[in-house]
Amino acid sequence: MNPKLRRLLPRLLLVGLILGLALFAPLLTDQDPVKMTISERLQPPSADHYLGQDEYGRDILARLLYGARVSLAVALLAAAAAGVIGVTLGLVGGYFGGIAELFTVRLTDIVLSFPPMLLALLIVTILGPGAETLTLVLTILYTPGYARVAYGETLSARSVEYVEASRALGASPFRILFRTILPNISGPLIVQFSLTVASAILIESGLSFLGLGVVPPDSSWGLMIRAARGYMVYSPLPLLWPCLALTVTVLAVNALCDALRDIYDPKAAREGGLLQAARSLVRFPVAGEARRAEAEPAEDAQVKVSDLRIEFATPHGAFAAVDGVSLAIGRGETVAVVGESGSGKTMIGLSILRLIPGPHGSITAGSIALRTKQGDVLPLEQLDEEALEEVRGRDVAMVFQEPMTSLNPVYPVGEQIAEALRRHHDLNKREALAKAIELLERVGIPDAALRVRDYPHQMSGGMRQRVMIAIALSCTPALVVADEPTTALDVTVQAQILDLFQHLRDEGDSDLGLMFITHNLGVVAEIADRVLVMYCGRIVEEGPVREVFRDPRHPYTRGLLSSIPRVNQATGERAPLTAIPGTVPGPGERPQGCAFAPRCAFAEPRCSVEEPVAHSFAPGRSTRCLRWDELGPAAARDTEREITQEAGQ
Amino acid sequence: MGGGGLTTYVARRVLIALGLVYIVTTIVFLVLHVIPGDPAMLLLSGGGVDPSAEAVAELRRKLGLDQPIFTQYIDYLAGLLQGDLGNSFQDDHPVAAEIAKRLPRTIELILAAALLSVLTGLPLGTLAALRQGGITDRSLSLVAGLMLSVPVFVTGTLLVLVFAQKLQWVPAGGFVEWSRDPIRHLIHLLMPAVTIAMGLSAVIFRMMRTTVLETLQQEWVRTARAKGLSGRSVLLRHVVRNALGPVLTVLGLHMGTLLGGTVLVEYVFNWPGLSGFLVVAVETRDYPEVQGIVLVISFLFILLNLLVDLLYSVLDPRIRLE
Repeated sequence: MNPKLRRLLPRLLLVGLILGLALFAPLLTDQDPVKMTISERLQPPSADHYLGQDEYGRDILARLLYGARVSLAVALLAAAAAGVIGVTLGLVGGYFGGIAELFTVRLTDIVLSFPPMLLALLIVTILGPGAETLTLVLTILYTPGYARVAYGETLSARSVEYVEASRALGASPFRILFRTILPNISGPLIVQFSLTVASAILIESGLSFLGLGVVPPDSSWGLMIRAARGYMVYSPLPLLWPCLALTVTVLAVNALCDALRDIYDPKAAREGGLLQAARSLVRFPVAGEARRAEAEPAEDAQVKVSDLRIEFATPHGAFAAVDGVSLAIGRGETVAVVGESGSGKTMIGLSILRLIPGPHGSITAGSIALRTKQGDVLPLEQLDEEALEEVRGRDVAMVFQEPMTSLNPVYPVGEQIAEALRRHHDLNKREALAKAIELLERVGIPDAALRVRDYPHQMSGGMRQRVMIAIALSCTPALVVADEPTTALDVTVQAQILDLFQHLRDEGDSDLGLMFITHNLGVVAEIADRVLVMYCGRIVEEGPVREVFRDPRHPYTRGLLSSIPRVNQATGERAPLTAIPGTVPGPGERPQGCAFAPRCAFAEPRCSVEEPVAHSFAPGRSTRCLRWDELGPAAARDTEREITQEAGQ
Repeated sequence: MGGGGLTTYVARRVLIALGLVYIVTTIVFLVLHVIPGDPAMLLLSGGGVDPSAEAVAELRRKLGLDQPIFTQYIDYLAGLLQGDLGNSFQDDHPVAAEIAKRLPRTIELILAAALLSVLTGLPLGTLAALRQGGITDRSLSLVAGLMLSVPVFVTGTLLVLVFAQKLQWVPAGGFVEWSRDPIRHLIHLLMPAVTIAMGLSAVIFRMMRTTVLETLQQEWVRTARAKGLSGRSVLLRHVVRNALGPVLTVLGLHMGTLLGGTVLVEYVFNWPGLSGFLVVAVETRDYPEVQGIVLVISFLFILLNLLVDLLYSVLDPRIRLE
């Protein structure tokens, strides 16, 4: 059974049971809830009176059961009446809008400007207490809630296709509202109904407790608690029973609400997936395991990744997002990592800062050796969280894809840059802010001294990305990982940000190593020295950009290259665009043999059996294709074509 | 730019609040008139005895019901502007004076309860989020679910039974002026404040837990970690700080329930604030008193919501642009 239904069912049964107890009260007890026997006042439970007797010798069980009838009848009746009125008003207001909206939804909204209990008491003063007054009061209190829900849902349903279709067919507004829209918004309304019932029970019992709700001799849980308060020191049981009944009922209805909301509100269901983030923040690896051992020095490489394997735990078993990747980025070198989404390129970038989302994802094999500014080489895969915090931002920094969401909306941008500075340098607030202004100027933000006080939402996407770059550069790291830094931006802004990267690389500190993760080969041509092409967690081709572009030796690289819009500079002709057929296989779908074989135009039968290994066929170049040597000549025709960055992807 | 946006925002919020005050004032006036039947007749007809014609006429005169409705409305507004809420039916004392004496006590109780709830709800909600799915989280969530479902007057009554009557640690209720004995004043404040705080704290706990979980997923949290900030700094500066806004909004939404709960709690603990007074006034159907208290508490409601809005705009600069 669906787990949500499995949650719902017992709760539904419990609420049903409570309703049943109230409904069949006369069958369940033959005691009269109002018959007083003063001589038997406050008697403990007995064979005739299972729960004992109250201060007038009345049977407590009978009063509980009959009290439930009054409380629940009032609550259900009011919730239903408010539902009918509120939904009608909401539907009409939402469908017609304008004046209709003013006289329906906005009018009922006025009720919401009062604390509910107070409005209730005002009306009780005029009409006097009693079950009828209560029902009326509760109906008034809960109408706006329904009206709002129905209004909101109608607004969004109005433009949906099936509604427009029935309108086009000439259905009357009445028919559309009640036959088409109403059934489709019933989910949220059911939730609203159960919320209302729970709340109505609370207000009813509260008013009865004050002596302003249900009037004696009728029984009500609130009244019973009110009466039992007087003698609870001597005889607490008559107090505890109605307290228990009331609490269990409200609890049951609330629990039912939660389960219903799970079913009708998809937003609530997402929560399960949030587990990792919470864990990775608090659960730091044990410090004892960390060794600050010197890793193998890699001549002048800023970072050297060897045989890296990153696995994710999925319900279907472990899945390797990155599978045996080795790479190195030298001093001042820009290396592009290209591939479609799902190729594992982002995971490699994150692993260099050890920011892989845990606990599902983890590095299971391989090493990452990072050279710090002091020249030490740190084995990142072995460091504990505390040591990693020292490294992050100082020796290696990251620029993320989404400048909209990667900056904290509640702090001015200057403060966010200063925060990174102060983390790694001994600066006071003013000094850090002055440095932040310098950085903003360096990344090309005009009026930096003013804009430093801006909040992210006051800046354009391009500006925000410049701020992200300023944060990354703030502590002059030796290596910057940029994960699709231009993808979320407009084309013209993309070009500006690329120029900025080029400028930063070519200016003073040309020692800056840059890992540029992108799916856009046009960008690669502009910025990178070397390119790594990734597919299904592996590097399938690697080499200097010009050589790889001129002479790709993997069919996947060829496919990617021919899917860039290009213009022949000599003739002005546009080269035909071809897309790679199929999609990247998902987790658990990876084929035997070469992972690319099912999409490959050059695949032979042996490709789906034999797994190709990385073959180094020239200095600095390698490919993972069984037929690499047959590919060369055919690809050569693209040689002199200039790649334009037109249209991005 | 930030400053200008804030001023406009504050000005707009204050104007909206004033508009609401006017609407509430008018509605309270109209309630007596839109309810079917003669209000004077209704007010006097408690206990099933038909009131005498003289009594009804007398009450109509007292309430000004013999005047044209428009004149009544103008008189009512003019009275309000001068701080005149009419005189009590019972003892003919001015209602405004009594309210002025009792209002500070109600506000004190609400503030004490809000403080307690925030001090418990925020840290526990954060803790539960960080331990999501663990035993701490599950037990805290269970307790919060329970506290949300127990009606406030049940909690109050049970607390009185256990801590005042059985254990005799604290007084069962009542009030001592701060000027007479600050310690005993606080002791009397403790139980009613705790009673209100239990439900409110559970609300804050739940919201904080959900919001922290959502915030942890935000990309700026990853940015903060990429800067090398410690787990603690990331949590306090980028998660908890950002979660405060939504929690505050929920607090605002529950303000009505909070004020309603205060009525019950003041009654349970005999706290001489506005609400206990209100219950007696409703019982004796002293309309001027009820009307005065409802107005004042509704104004308080609007004021508290205004404060929540303003505080939100301080917490989250994006709001000012709306």
